[in-house]
Formats: sequence, structure tokens, C-alpha cells
Amino acid sequence: MNDNKLKVKDFITIGIFTALIFVVEFACGMLGFIHPYIVASYVVLIPLVGSIPMMLFYTKVEKFGMLTIMSILIAIIMFVTGMGWLGAPLIIAAGLIADLIAKKGGYKSFKSTALSHGVFCLWICANYFPVIVTAKDYRKSLLDGGYSAEYCDALFRAINGKTIAILLALCFIFGVIGAFVGKAVVKKHFEKAGIV
Amino acid sequence: MIKIHLDPRTKLFMIFAVSFIVMVNAVSPMEWAVRIIVTLIPVFLLANEGRYVSALRFLLCYGAALLLLRFYISAESTGVISALLVGYCGIVAQFMPAMIMAWYVIHTTKIGEFMSAMQKMHIPDGISVSLAVVMRFFPTIKEEYLSINDAMKMRGISFAGGRITKMIEYRLVPLMFSCLNIGEELSAAAVTRGLGAPVRRTSPVQLRFKAADWLMIVVFAASMILFVISKYFR
Amino acid sequence: MIEIKNVNFRYKGTDEGGLHDLSLTINDGETVLLCGSSGCGKTTIGRLINGLIPHYYKGELTGSVTVNGRDIAKTELYDLAGVVGTVFQNPRSQFFAIDTDGEITFGAENIGMPPEAIISRKNDTANEMHIERLLDRSIFELSGGEKQIIACASVSVLSPDIMVLDEPSSNLDSSAIMKLKAILADWKSHGKTIIIAEHRLYFLRELADRMLLLDNGRITKELCADEIKALTFADTEQMGIRPLSLTDIGYSHESKSTQNERLTLENFVFTYKDGKHGINIPELELPTRSIIAIIGHNGAGKSTLARNICGLEKKCKGVMKLGDKTLKAKDRLRSCYMIMQDVNHQLFTESVRDEVMLSITDKQMTDTDKLQKSTEILTQLDLSAYSDTHPMALSGGQKQRTAIASGIASSKPIIIFDEPTSGLDLAHMKQVAGEILKLRDMGKTIFIVTHDMEFILSCCDHIVRLEEGRVVGNTTLNQDNAASLRQFFVSEI
Repeated sequence: MNDNKLKVKDFITIGIFTALIFVVEFACGMLGFIHPYIVASYVVLIPLVGSIPMMLFYTKVEKFGMLTIMSILIAIIMFVTGMGWLGAPLIIAAGLIADLIAKKGGYKSFKSTALSHGVFCLWICANYFPVIVTAKDYRKSLLDGGYSAEYCDALFRAINGKTIAILLALCFIFGVIGAFVGKAVVKKHFEKAGIV
Repeated sequence: MIKIHLDPRTKLFMIFAVSFIVMVNAVSPMEWAVRIIVTLIPVFLLANEGRYVSALRFLLCYGAALLLLRFYISAESTGVISALLVGYCGIVAQFMPAMIMAWYVIHTTKIGEFMSAMQKMHIPDGISVSLAVVMRFFPTIKEEYLSINDAMKMRGISFAGGRITKMIEYRLVPLMFSCLNIGEELSAAAVTRGLGAPVRRTSPVQLRFKAADWLMIVVFAASMILFVISKYFR
Repeated sequence: MIEIKNVNFRYKGTDEGGLHDLSLTINDGETVLLCGSSGCGKTTIGRLINGLIPHYYKGELTGSVTVNGRDIAKTELYDLAGVVGTVFQNPRSQFFAIDTDGEITFGAENIGMPPEAIISRKNDTANEMHIERLLDRSIFELSGGEKQIIACASVSVLSPDIMVLDEPSSNLDSSAIMKLKAILADWKSHGKTIIIAEHRLYFLRELADRMLLLDNGRITKELCADEIKALTFADTEQMGIRPLSLTDIGYSHESKSTQNERLTLENFVFTYKDGKHGINIPELELPTRSIIAIIGHNGAGKSTLARNICGLEKKCKGVMKLGDKTLKAKDRLRSCYMIMQDVNHQLFTESVRDEVMLSITDKQMTDTDKLQKSTEILTQLDLSAYSDTHPMALSGGQKQRTAIASGIASSKPIIIFDEPTSGLDLAHMKQVAGEILKLRDMGKTIFIVTHDMEFILSCCDHIVRLEEGRVVGNTTLNQDNAASLRQFFVSEI
């Protein structure tokens, strides 16, 4: 009995939770229409809200590959929905490393799970890659076009090649904090209901 | 009009090409021309599929953004509103081509075809099963959420007294329970119909590259090459 | 042939639904009906046959199960796909694909059937079942009955000889059940063995070769075809199962005819975005403090009416006149409480007590008052033992009671039930009827969307009948028109 190999039920579970994560991303994404600065706050919102389904997900499969495959799916879906393919290496690497970290803790240790979630959340920055890559060029063309330098700065201050490191760090930090949040919700509801 | 049916692999290549082209900013007229052609093709394809409303909407949206950029960009960027407007137009003009292409692909490709294509590209069955489940769950999540939302309205807890954490909890938790239950039943129904058998999944869909596919591939590959040349070898 | 020998089974973590020393032999071509109250083990038997036990549902299993010579415990599920086909209870959750074609061919794709064979099997199945018009459509557009038919087609494609069905009619209305009956008859005529676990038995009266009554994991009664047909209403009542014939159900409940205040719905016009479904009710006068059943065929607009009464559709400009008050949709939301068809969608907290307290919104009440009120309500509904249990850990009937408790706690005068008895056994159906009668005695006005005739006869005072969005009947229920009610339900058979 090979208990560590992903089975059909696991693939279906991975699919379901990937859909849930995307729903969280879309919901937060809608907020981004209100103000471009909110777009930068994805790194805070998505790890925190998304941690709720993610922490439940960690208890459901507990086999190596669960996060890697989820990250592959995320990369595919982002590509197909026109959000680019530059982020794919980041997403999949994050997923793989997150899987390895969680594996070290047997998928049960909370410390490993929290770290794993932190790393996994780096995928969120892939949302920004298209903007970052084009930003440099765009800024230049705006300046050429006669735009005031301060306007350009305001628009891209939050998201550009320099701040990406900060954004990545924030993803990780809030991913770890999110793990605590998610775990509390999972305990309050899903453990109590006997589902976990 | 003859209906043009493209192989999903061709469509994926088209998305790849468009994503590439929008990554780099268009400045010269030729680059803009390529951009526009590459945007018009999916619009045309959408119309070809009978989706006139979306085709028209995208056309107007992109057209408006382009025009505003063209004739506004030289004006002084005074005032927050005009700055914001041009900002948005810039983003729209930048990302719309990819969005339109993505919309076209998603709405004209059946999940079965897509899974077949993935198999031909040597992606393991497990991943394509998971992807199929993701696609199948999006409408389900929407249905479940609408019902949960009704319940919240009816019980008067949509805004949970202004507590944001409760608002999120009331929405997410029942949704997750629902998804788990459905997932449980879905899995049972899937395994009793042989999912997980140690054989390669087959499909009634038979994918083949036709003339239209080759045409698209050539056009988009050429666009990419022209872009690269224009950008780096000017 | 199916042989179950001395099987003892206990699900991991619960005593419910298990089996005790069960032995059963089913011959080829037999149609066996398994019935009994919830938790009796009828679903479990189906799972022994299709292999979900022990390969999917974990638990302690002893004894042997052999299907066509194969030892189930040693056979993989994917090898059984072509031997045993299973149709599940919930049309909404058992489909894998988004389109009907993909769903029908799903099983064939899984076992690696060659593409041409898949296409021909799909077409053959569609022809045999007369569902050509359902091909190439989105499953999300289909009605519950149509989804269930696609589910049947989907298992048919692999041509299994044995069909296991687990309460397939639970979420279906009478016309959909008739279509299901036709499919079963067709399978039977092709010599398939059918094992069907059910609560609603009337559509199986002619089809069943054998009926097994289960209680607590044991077979307590076995009836052959003739005996089945000879069962009377009194017999089935005594056995604790639903009647086998709708015409037998008597009507003895007397509705109170008091001079109640009237409630009038005015200008209830609403159409869904697709333009096809909706309601058009210029005026409807109803008694308050009554139990009003809303009946009609599938698509007649019952649920739409219920949603609009509740005030869930903002676009509906209709009003409800109650005494001297005129209630618009927004006001109706505050006056109506709905027990939804899927109760899971309206449970939000982590304990039954919290769930009840969530509905107590009177800002004048202190916390102690609220606690006391909730205790009263919980006792009223027999839920005190569960006051700290998480609602999602409860059984379906208990969840429903929790929702009713929350409804009482909300102090809203109008309570709406959407198909409260789908999937319920006799005892639970009677329990719900009892709870609804209590609600009426509290002075509430109750609307029930239902297609359960026995349930209507056991507690409703008034019937509103819809057809294509319009009211075609609005009468008090009494001995005289109970007959025409029966006619309505029986006419579909």
C-alpha cells in the first residue's frame, strides 16, 4: 500500500483548493480596481485570507507534491488567463520549496507548515511581474511624452523593480502570519466539526 | 462564414506570443501595428465564433484606450483625474491584448479538448485531472456562494456589524464546507467510474493541426520576431 | 451474482450506518429494493457491492463480499467500473465534466477505451435512453432530473451488469422520477441487476423483485414481488417506511379555520435574466397563521415565488400587504426566515447555541436574556444535548432543526421552507411536520415549497398551485379537495 503517492482523491482535492485560492485572488483583485495602491496590498490580503483554505488544505492531502502541483496549476491558469508566463518559474519554485519544507515536518508540524505557507505565498508576486517588466519602459515613454516625473513616480512607486524584494518579503511574512490565522479558523470550525 | 476551429495547442502558442509582445512597450509605429494586429485577430476570432457582443466590447474598450493615449499623452498631466485616466488607459492598452486572447481561448475551448492537448504535450494525467476539477469548480463555487450570500442577507449578517473578520468568516467557512462535501461525493462518483486506472486516459477528441492552425502559428511567430528585431536591432 | 456473507462493518468514527452479521445473495437480473430509516445501513450495502467499502470509505470490515466471482476486498475500484455502475443521490455533485458529452464519456476515457469506441458507445447510449437533445450542453444549465439522467447515461456507457443506486430520487420531482423509472425499467429489461436504496418507494412498486427492510444494520424483513404489491398503507406505516402508492394516503388532519388576518401579495412579477423562467402574480390573497403549501411542476416557479416572498430578489417591485403594513422586498427580508433546501448554506457559527443566538438581534436584550431564550428554543426542538456541537457535525435532520431554531429565535413572523423533506425517511418527515405545526401554533405564517404529497396531507392548511409562473389554484385544504390534490400528484405517474 503506497500511502505516499498521490491518488485520484488527492488530485481532486488539489483541484478544489486551487479553485478556492483563485476565488480569494479574484475577490482581492476586485478591490484593486478601486485604487492601484490596493494592488500592492495583495501581498497582505491574499496570504491572510487565503491562509484559511490553505491551512485546511495542508491537513487534507499530506503527501509530497500537493503544493508543487498546486503551484503548477496556478502557473498554468495565470498563463492561460493572460497574466503572463514570467511568473511561472517563481511560482513553481516556491511551490516546490514549500512542499519540501512541509515534508520535513511530516506535513503535520505546525512550524514547518507555517514556513511552508510563507514560501508558498511568494506566488502572489507573480501578479506583479507583468507590471514590473513593462514599468521601466512605460515610465520612460511617459516621461518622453511629457509627463511630470512626479506622476510617474506616484504610479509606480509601489510596484517596481526595486520594491519587488520588499513585496516578496511581505508575502513571506504575511504568509507565516496567515498560517496562524488560518490554523485558528481551521481549529475553530473544521476540527470541531470532525472533518480534520 | 466558415467557422475557424483551432487546436488548443495553437491557442496556447497564441497566448504565449501575445504575452511576449505586450511585455515590451510599443513605441515605433511598426510595433504598434503589430500590437494592433495581434489584438484584432482574437477579436475577429470571437466574432467568428458568434460572440459578437464580447468582440464589440473589447474592440470599443481597446479602441477608446488607444485613442485616449494617443491624443492625451502630450497634454499636461494636470489633475488627479486625467492622470488616473491616462494611467488606466495605459494599463488597459498594455494588457488588453493578452486579456482578449485569454478570453477567446477560455470561451472557445472545451475542457476535454484542453485535457487532450495537455496529454499530447506530455503533461501527466494527474495534473490535467486537477485542472479539470479547477474548471469544474469555478461555476460550482459561484452557485454555492450565491446561495450562502442569500442566507446571509436573509439572516441580516451580510456586514456582520462591520466586523471584517466575521464577514470573511461567514463567507469562506460555509463555502469551504460545501466544497469539501461536494468534493467527497465527486471523488466517489469518479473512482467508481474508473478514474485512477493505471492506463493512459483516452479521449473522443482527436487533435490535429489544420491549415488555420499553421496560419496562426506563422502569423504570431512572425509578430514576435518582428517585435524583437524592431526593439533590439533598430 | 452477488454474495455477501456474514459482513460486519463499522465506519471509522461513528456507529451509524454500520452492518451486523449481514448475509445476502442477489441473483443476476434481480431488482432489489433496500429500505429503512436513515442510518439503517442500506447505503452501506450498496458500497459493499461497488467497492467503495473498503477502498474508499474506511472502517472495520469482516466477512466477504463477492461480485461475479470477484472478491471485492481484493479488486481495485477501477477494475470494477465495468462491472458495477453507481448512481448517487445528489445530481449536483456527482458530475465531473462541465459538458454533457464529456460527462457521458468520462468512464470510457478513464479506462482507456479507443476514441472511435468511445464515440460509438456515447451515441448508442444516447439513442437507447432517448437523450439526444441533452447532448452538447452545459451541465450547469440542466435541471436536477436531467442531471440525474446524464449520470445514468454516464454509468451505462461502460455497460456494467450491476447497477447500484443510492437514493437517486431524493432531489427529483415527480416527472423526473418517472423518467428515472423508465431508465430502470429499461435496464431491467436488458437483464441488469439493480440494487436501489430508497425512501420514496412508490415508483418502484412494479419494478422491485425483492424488498429488504433494514434496521440498525440487519435485515428485518424480506418481501417478494407479490407481497410488495400487496402492501397497504397501514403496512408501510407500521414498517416505518413511506407508502408504496400515493392513492392510499389518507387525509385526516383538520386545518383550523379561524378568522385570521389576511396577507396579500400584489404585483409579484419577476423574470430571471435568461428570460425564460419567472413568476407573474398580479394578486394573491392568503391566510396568515397558516401552513401554506406551494406546489407545481418543475419550472413552474415555486422556488422563485418563495425567494420573492422572502425578499431576496431586489428587482421584484411587488409588495406584500400584511394588516396595515405594506412590505417591499427590503422589508420582507426582515420579516421572513427561510429554511433553505441546502441547510449547509445557512449555518455560520461553531456551535448550535451560537447559531441560535446569531438570530437574536433584539438590541434591547441583555446577554443573559439571549442565553436564556436560546436555551428555551433548544429545549423546544430537542437540541439541548447538542448546544455545543458544531452545526456541520450534525446529521441532516438535526441541521434542519438547528435552522428552524434559528428561525424561531429571529422572531420573524413568516417562515419559508424550501423542499424540507427531500431525502427524509418517514419518521423524520413526520418530525418535521410536527415542528411546522408547532410553528403555526406560535402564530407564524408558514410557506412550504414541496412536492411531497404525504407531507402536505399531514400538516398543510392551504394550497397554492403554480403553473408557468401563474397561480392556478388557491384553496384551503380539506377532505373535499384532498382528492384533487392527489389527482395532481398522481396524474404525473
